[in-house]
Amino acid sequence: MLEAVRYFFLRALRNMRQWPFLCSAAILTMAVSLATIATFFLIVVNIEQLAARWTQEIQVIAYVQTPPSPQELPELIKKMQQLDGVDQVAYVSPSEAMERFGERLGNDAVLLQGVRSDLLPASFELALHSEFRSQQGIEKIIAQLESLIPVDDLRYGQTWLERFNNFISMLRFVGAFLGGFLLFATLFIVANTIRLTLYARRDELEIMALVGATMRFIKIPFMLEGAIQGFIGGLLSLMFLSLSFSLIISRGLHAFWLTPLDFDLLFLTASQQLVLVLAGVVLGVLGSLSSLRRFVRI
Amino acid sequence: MIQLYNVSKRYSRDSVAVNDLSLKIDKGEFVYVTGASGAGKTTFLRMLYVAERPTRGQILVDGQNITRIRSHHIPYLRRKIGVVFQDFKLLQSRSVYENVAFALEAQGKKRFEVSKKVYQALKEVGLEHRLQRKPQELSGGEQQRIAIARALVVDPLILLADEPSGNLDQGVTLEIMELFKRANARGTTVLLATHDYSLHQRFPRRVITLDEGKLVGDQRPMDPFGPES
Repeated sequence: MLEAVRYFFLRALRNMRQWPFLCSAAILTMAVSLATIATFFLIVVNIEQLAARWTQEIQVIAYVQTPPSPQELPELIKKMQQLDGVDQVAYVSPSEAMERFGERLGNDAVLLQGVRSDLLPASFELALHSEFRSQQGIEKIIAQLESLIPVDDLRYGQTWLERFNNFISMLRFVGAFLGGFLLFATLFIVANTIRLTLYARRDELEIMALVGATMRFIKIPFMLEGAIQGFIGGLLSLMFLSLSFSLIISRGLHAFWLTPLDFDLLFLTASQQLVLVLAGVVLGVLGSLSSLRRFVRI
Repeated sequence: MIQLYNVSKRYSRDSVAVNDLSLKIDKGEFVYVTGASGAGKTTFLRMLYVAERPTRGQILVDGQNITRIRSHHIPYLRRKIGVVFQDFKLLQSRSVYENVAFALEAQGKKRFEVSKKVYQALKEVGLEHRLQRKPQELSGGEQQRIAIARALVVDPLILLADEPSGNLDQGVTLEIMELFKRANARGTTVLLATHDYSLHQRFPRRVITLDEGKLVGDQRPMDPFGPES
């Protein structure tokens, strides 16, 4: 068994040495394809991360016609805090609201002189848990809130949230579509490159079948070869990606935003890097297997 | 060793390569398969190592009916059959040693056994001193001897040779024929397809003649072990 493994492994390596050009072509194709897919993945992940930052600002402001009495207030705030999806609750009394308004007016605050301090309505500002920062999440919170206290008006950036949700849905759709397309193109290109390398060696496959080699004996070294090429291709794509990430993407993206971003761009995690290299191995094996099916006739 | 019963091979309605062929070849026989180009010699041989399947009829090799042999059994049948081609079919990127060893490795033989048998086979064909050369560095005659060594290294029951001397001059052809005769003397059944009539005049053996896929002659020499052989 061990001798067979050793033999197949040595034959795969010898084949690669004997066909350096074909072998390099297959490795480079896989490296470029994997790097393209991983780059695309990184772009989508980082845009999603950026988008998630924007939603941090989302809060629900519930205006009430009659301000709660100082006795009811702590109990009310406590109940609101216990609502599903609510992180923090802040009460803004009519006088605090007026104060804020005055601050916003700046030098024009003098216009407010003589205006009653309880002119503006009292409100509750509800900060939300991240998973509730969506249209559906907010609707759930509002339903709970309305059963707790009569609400006069609600503000949570409805139009913005709607647009944001549409943007995220579109991003996911485009991501899935382009990602799927890229994956398909990668599989096609890799399978065809491997097919070309096998086409150049069809005599070898024919002679193997002729001297009584079983399918297993013919296929295993080629599949191993595909796996080794995929592994090297995966490592190369990872190297290329980390280099280009540090040199081009991060600088380029910061420059694109004009102002420095308040977060670090995400790179592949250790497990994602492992998946990338393993994807190379799987790609190599599947590419070899699909091409062998075409060329090996016993 | 080989039996054919009403075997036909059609590629299309108008293209019949072998037509209703019935014959029997005994173990240890040396048989020439002759006929003009397109007579069906190559198809006949290809059907014996299941590179082609007959359209009709039955073929038995070493007692096994190979007409509808399952694909995964074919390699085991081929291990009993050595095949030599006009164009040698050698791996040009591999050394002489590797080309011959390949046939044994394909059968899962152990390394020490492979090296011993390869050396013996190459010695048999007189090329033991060319172990590390690549086929393209050798002459046509030498390349054909490597191909014969590859076919014989597995001790086949049957040796099929399809125009093995087609690309070689007379002197080399005689050397090659000596190798086939020696294999035959060791008990291997030899089938040699050729349209070179001078060969069976020089080395008289049973001659099967095909014409447009049909068996038109089956001659046995009066004394196969006569002085010329």
